[in-house]
Amino acid sequence: MEAYHKPDQQALQALKDAANRLRIGSIRATTAAGSGHPTSCCSAAEIMSVLFFHTMRYKAKDPRNPSNDRFVLSKGHSAPILYAAWAEAGFLQEAELLNLRKVDSILEGHPVPKQPFTDVATGSLGQGLGAACGMAYTGKYFDKASYRVYCLLGDGELSEGSVWEAMAFAGFYKLDNLVAILDINRLGQSDPTPLQHHVEIYQKRCEAFGWHAVIVDGHSVEELCKAFGQTKNQPTAIIARTLKGKGISGVEDKENWHGKPLPKNMAEEIIQEIGDKIQSKKKLSPTLPEEDAPVVNIRNIKMPSPPNYKLGEKMATRKAYGLALAKLGHANDRVIALDGDTKNSTFSDLFRKEHPSRFIECYIAEQNMVSIAVGCATRDRTVAFASTFATFFTRAFDQIRMAAISESNINLCGSHCGVSIGEDGPSQMGLEDLCMFRAVPNSTVFYPSDAVSAEKAVEIAANTKGICFIRTSRPENEVIYSSDEEFHIGQAKVVVKNKDDQVTVIGAGVTLHEALAAAEELKKEKIYVRVIDPFTIKPLDKATILEHARATKGRIITVEDHYPEGGIGEAVSAALVGEPGITVTRLAVSHVPRSGKPAELLKMFGIDKDAIVQAVKGAVSKSRNAE
Amino acid sequence: MASGARPDQIRLQALRDVAARLRLHSVRATCAAGSGHPTSCCSAAEIVAVLFFQAMRYRADQPAYPSNDRFILSKGHAAPLLYAAWAEAGFLKEPELLNLRKIDCDLEGHPTPRLPFVDVATGSLGQGLGAACGMAYAAKYFDKAGYRVFCLLGDGEASEGSVWEALAFGSYYQLDNLVAIVDVNRLGQSEAAPLRHDTDVYRRRCEAFGWNTYVVDGHAVNELEEALWQATQVKEKPTAIVAKTYKGRGIPGVEDTDNWHGKPMPKDKLESIIGAIQSQIQTKEVLVPQLPIEDVAQISVADIHMPSLPEYAIGEKVATRKAYGMALAKLGTANERVVALDGDTKNSTFAELFRQAHPERYIECYIAEQNMVSVALGCAARDRAVVFASTFAAFLTRAFDHIRMGAISRTNLNLCGSHCGVSIGEDGPSQMALEDIAMFRAVPGCTIFYPSDAVSTEHAVCLAANTKGICFIRTSRPETPVIYSSEKFEIGQAKVVRKSGADRVTVIGAGVTLHEALAAADELAKQGIPIRVIDPFTIKPLDAATIISSARATGGRIITVEDHYREGGIGEAVAAAVSEEPGIVVQSLAVSGVPRSGKPAELLDLFGISAKSIIAAVKSTFAN
Ligand SMILES: Cc1ncc(C[n+]2csc(CCOP(=O)(O)OP(=O)(O)O)c2C)c(N)n1
Ligand SMILES: Cc1ncc(C[n+]2csc(CCOP(=O)(O)OP(=O)(O)O)c2C)c(N)n1
Repeated sequence: MEAYHKPDQQALQALKDAANRLRIGSIRATTAAGSGHPTSCCSAAEIMSVLFFHTMRYKAKDPRNPSNDRFVLSKGHSAPILYAAWAEAGFLQEAELLNLRKVDSILEGHPVPKQPFTDVATGSLGQGLGAACGMAYTGKYFDKASYRVYCLLGDGELSEGSVWEAMAFAGFYKLDNLVAILDINRLGQSDPTPLQHHVEIYQKRCEAFGWHAVIVDGHSVEELCKAFGQTKNQPTAIIARTLKGKGISGVEDKENWHGKPLPKNMAEEIIQEIGDKIQSKKKLSPTLPEEDAPVVNIRNIKMPSPPNYKLGEKMATRKAYGLALAKLGHANDRVIALDGDTKNSTFSDLFRKEHPSRFIECYIAEQNMVSIAVGCATRDRTVAFASTFATFFTRAFDQIRMAAISESNINLCGSHCGVSIGEDGPSQMGLEDLCMFRAVPNSTVFYPSDAVSAEKAVEIAANTKGICFIRTSRPENEVIYSSDEEFHIGQAKVVVKNKDDQVTVIGAGVTLHEALAAAEELKKEKIYVRVIDPFTIKPLDKATILEHARATKGRIITVEDHYPEGGIGEAVSAALVGEPGITVTRLAVSHVPRSGKPAELLKMFGIDKDAIVQAVKGAVSKSRNAE
Repeated sequence: MASGARPDQIRLQALRDVAARLRLHSVRATCAAGSGHPTSCCSAAEIVAVLFFQAMRYRADQPAYPSNDRFILSKGHAAPLLYAAWAEAGFLKEPELLNLRKIDCDLEGHPTPRLPFVDVATGSLGQGLGAACGMAYAAKYFDKAGYRVFCLLGDGEASEGSVWEALAFGSYYQLDNLVAIVDVNRLGQSEAAPLRHDTDVYRRRCEAFGWNTYVVDGHAVNELEEALWQATQVKEKPTAIVAKTYKGRGIPGVEDTDNWHGKPMPKDKLESIIGAIQSQIQTKEVLVPQLPIEDVAQISVADIHMPSLPEYAIGEKVATRKAYGMALAKLGTANERVVALDGDTKNSTFAELFRQAHPERYIECYIAEQNMVSVALGCAARDRAVVFASTFAAFLTRAFDHIRMGAISRTNLNLCGSHCGVSIGEDGPSQMALEDIAMFRAVPGCTIFYPSDAVSTEHAVCLAANTKGICFIRTSRPETPVIYSSEKFEIGQAKVVRKSGADRVTVIGAGVTLHEALAAADELAKQGIPIRVIDPFTIKPLDAATIISSARATGGRIITVEDHYREGGIGEAVAAAVSEEPGIVVQSLAVSGVPRSGKPAELLDLFGISAKSIIAAVKSTFAN
C-alpha cells in the first residue's frame, strides 16, 4: 500500500466543493420528489466526496467493473447522495436526479440493483456491512485482487445486532481491505441515538471487535483523507463525528427533520447559501483501479459425474446435499460454501473437507451468513451455498427478503426440517420455512425426497438465478430414483401410478416415503392411490398435479412435515382453486410440536402412513356417500 | 443490599458437591435419552449450582411465583442441567430426569413453558438475554420490585447479533438487576468458537457495551460467588460474568476435546464416568435456596376494556396506523400494565401517541427489532404486562425467529406492523411489507388483524389486548375513510360490506384493497353488475363460513385482492379455506415480483390491485 500523501489546498477545496454540490443535489432531488431524507445525506457529504473523488479507485463509466473498489451505502435512505455522487462522477445525468422516486426512473427511494452502481439493495438498516464483508472476503481470499470495499453506516443503524455480527466476522478474518465509515450524526429517526455523540464509545466497541478505529471530524475533508490513507492489517472503522442536516441553516443538528424534504422556497434559499461556499466548478475525476480481478465463469456448471446411489439405499437428504456440494466444487472453483457452526449437521463439512479454502465458517450468526453469501455472489464472483438448520433461516428472513430485492443469486440449504428430527423439540424444527421461502419473490424452493434428487437439486440451484432454497431432512430414507433420472424445476414426478387410482397423494421428503408406505398398505385393501413428488414446491407443477387429480376423481391429499399455512397444501390449493371439481385435503402439523421419537411425532401430528391411509379412506367414502 | 450470608468453606464445598450432582444427572439423563448435550451441561455445572443455591432467591415449590428471581437458560441445549437444578431444588423428582426427551414427558430436548420454571422457550441461540432484559426492565421500572434476573449464555452463542442488541439495551437502561453469565468453554458445535478462551476480548466487548464485567474461573465456586455478590453492590450497570470453563468438565477423556458437542456418553462408559464424578462429592448436605423478598404487587392484565367507544365519523379520513396509536393511547388509560415498544419508528407507526400519553410505560428499543421482540416477550412473562410492540411490518421479518420462539414460549404478545404493501409508495420495496401475512399465518396460534378503517383498528387493539398468543395488527400508511359505526367486531368474524340479492361475485379485500374493492363495486353497480364485498377483519382465523356462504350466493365466484405477495397471503388463505368445496373458484389479485418506488396509486395500478384491476377481473369472470 502506498504511503499517505496529503492533498494540497486546491485539492482539498475541490473536495469541499464537491461535498457541497452533493448536498445541493440531494436537497434538490428530495424537494422535487416531495419525500426523502436530505438531512441524512448532508451529514455524509464530505465522507462521500472524499470517498468518491479522492480515496476510491473505479471506472466511473463502468460501475460494475470487477476491479473497481466497492461502495455499499448501508444507510440506504441516503440514496439521493449516492445518486448525486454518481452524477458528479459523470455516470448519471444531473437532470435525472430530479426524477428521484418517480415510477419511471431507476432512482428509487432506496438503492436497488437496477442501478448499475448498486450491488446490493439497502434500506433495511444494518445489512450493508455484512454484504461488504462478503465482498471483502471475496476480494482477499478468492479474487486475491487489490480492490477495496467501503461501507457507510448510520449511527442509529449501529443498534442492529447484524452490524456487530459483521464487525466480528471482519475482525476474525482480518479483512484489511474493508473500511466502514460510521456517520455519527447524533440523531436517528424519532429520537437521538442511544450514544448520541459519544464517539469514544463507538471506538471502544469497534476496537473490541478487532478493528482499527479512528475518530475524525466527519466534515473535515482533510481529516477524512488522512484517515482513509491509513491501512492496517485489520479492518478500519472511520468514526466520523457529523451533524445531521449539516449545511442547512436552522435544520442542522435539529430533531424532527428526519425523512423530510425541505419546502420549495426554503430549499431555494439553502441551495443559494450552500452554493455560495463553492469556489470552483471544476469536477474531480476518480482514480482508476488496478485491473487485477481475475476473469471468472460461473455459468453452466455441470456435475463431473452422475449420482452414484443404488435404489433402496438409505441416505438422508442432508447428507446427500453435502456429498453433492463437495462434488460440485470439483466442477467449478468458484463454488463456495458457508455455514453457521452447524456444518456437521447440515453436512456442508463434506465440502469443507474437499475444498477447505472455499469454505467460510460464519459461526452462529445466521443473518450475517446470508449477508456474506450475498456479498460473495455480487458481480458474479462466486456461486454461494449457505446452510444451517432450516428453522434458523427465519433469523435471516429480513436479509433473505432484501437479497431478493438485490436480485441476488444465492443458494440456501436448510436441514432438519419438520417434526421428523425428533427429540430436539420444536425450537430446532423447520415448520415455517416453505412458507417463508415461497413468499420470497422469484425464489425456487426444492424439496428433494431422496439422495438422487437432492444431488440434482444442488446442481440445478447452482445454475438458477434468484434465491434457491433446498430443504433437507434428517432421517435416512430410501433412494427411489435411478441415477439417470432427469429433474427439472417445476416438474413433478409421478412415483406411483395404477389404472384405478382413486386419490392423488402429494408428499415430499419424509412424507413422500410415508405416502409410499400408505400406498402399499392400501393396495392390500384394493384401494389404489397415485403418489406425486413435486420436487420443487415453487414453482409448482400445476399441470401434472391437475392432470392426475382429474384422473383420480378430483381428489387430492397433501401431506407435509410443515405447518398448514403457506406450505405444500396451500400451494396446491392455490394452484388448483380456479379449477372446478377438485378438492384438496391437507395433512400438516397443526400446532407447536414437542420432543419425541420421529415416528411417534409423525403419528402424533397426523402425517404418517396411518394418517394418510385414513385420509384416503375418508376421501373415498365421503365422495361415495355423496354419489 | 443484603443478599444473604457469604458462604463459609463448608458451604462452598456443598456447592461444589451440588455441581457434581448436576453433572451426574445431566450425564445420566442424556445417556438414557440417547441424545442431548451433556458436555454443554458440564461446563456450566458450577455456575448453575452457585446461581440456584447461593445467588438466587426463589420459592423452589413455586417456580413461577412473581417475586422469585428469574433464570433464563439462553443456551437452551443445556436443558438437562436446568432440569437437574430443579430436581436438586426439590421441584422435580429425580427419577423423572431419566424420561428426558420422551414423548410423554415435559422435560423436552430444549426448555419449553410446559414446565412451570420456564418463562421463555430457548434453543434458538442468542435470544435469552433479550428476554432477560425485558424481565429486568419490568422489574425495575414497572414492578419496582427487588427480584433479579440471571441469564446463562454460551460463548459460541455470543456470535449472534441479538446478544449485542440486548447488551446495548441492558446498559442503556441501567438494568442493575440483571446479570449475564457467559460460559466460555472454548468450543461451539462443529469447531472452536471464534474467540476460544480469550476471555479478555469478551471482557473488553462487554465493557465497551457498558457492562460491569468480571472474568472468573467458571469452575471455582468461590470466584463465581464473589462475582455474583459484587454484582448486587453495583448500581446503574448490569453485570457480565465471563466464566472461563471447559466443555465436558469432569468427564475423563472428553473434557475440552473436539467432536463431543451434542453427544451423550456411550452406555459402556457411563459407569466409569459416574464413578469419576461421584468420587469428587464430599458431603451429602442438601442446600436450600434463599426465599425471595415479597415486594411484587398484585396486578391484573385480564379483561381490559376501552374507556369509551370509537369516536370517528363515517367518511372521516384516517390512516389505520394513526388509529392504532390513538387506540393504544386510549387503552393505556384503561389498564396501567399496558406498555408499548417501538424501534425508532414511533413517529411512523404512531406509537408516539402512546408515549405522549403514558411516557413511563413506553420503551424505546432503538433500531434493533429482534431485541424489541425479545424485550416484549420478557415484559409479558408471568403476566406482568400487556405488551404492544410496533415497527414497519417489513422489519418484523428481522425478528421472525424471535416471533417463532415466542409462539413456542406461549407468549401473549401484540405486534403491530405499519407501512404494509406497495401503497406506501415512494420509499420503495425495502420498506414495503409484502410477506408479513405469510409470516404471521405460519406462526402457530397467531391471530392476524388486518383492519380496514379506524373503527375496526380500535377494536383490533382492544381484542388483541385480551387475546392469548401472538397477535399481529397490520396497519396501512394511506388515509382511508371510516366505514364502520358502532359495530361489534369479533375475531374470526368477517363483515359483509356490500350486499344485494343479485351479487355476481364475492370480492374480498382488506386495508387499502378493501377500499379499492368498494370503489370497484360503485363503478360496477353503475354498469349493472352488483358485487358482494367482504372485509375479513382477521386473516387468521379466517371466517370461512361467511366466505363460503357468500361465494355460494354469488355463483361460487370469489376474487381476492391484497397488497401482499401471492404466497401465504389472503388469496391462499381463502383458497385453503374453500379447497374442500368443489364448486367454488377463487381468483387472486396480489403483488407479483419485486415492486418499486412510485406514487401509491400508480403502484396499485402497476401491480394490478386497484379498483381498475378488480373491475377487469370481475368482468373476465363472466367472459370465460
Ligand atoms: C431495519 C430497519 N429498521 C427501521 C428502519 C426505519 N428507519 C429508516 S432511517 C431510520 C433512522 C436511521 O438513523 P441513522 O442510522 O442514525 O441514520 P441517519 O439518517 O441519522 O444518518 C430508521 C429507524 C429501517 N429503514 N430499517
Ligand atoms: C440460532 C441457532 N443457530 C444454531 C444452532 C445450533 N447449535 C446448537 S448448540 C450450538 C453450539 C453452541 O455453542 P456454545 O454457545 O458455545 O454452547 P456450548 O454448548 O459450547 O456451551 C449450535 C451451533 C442453534 N441452536 N440456534
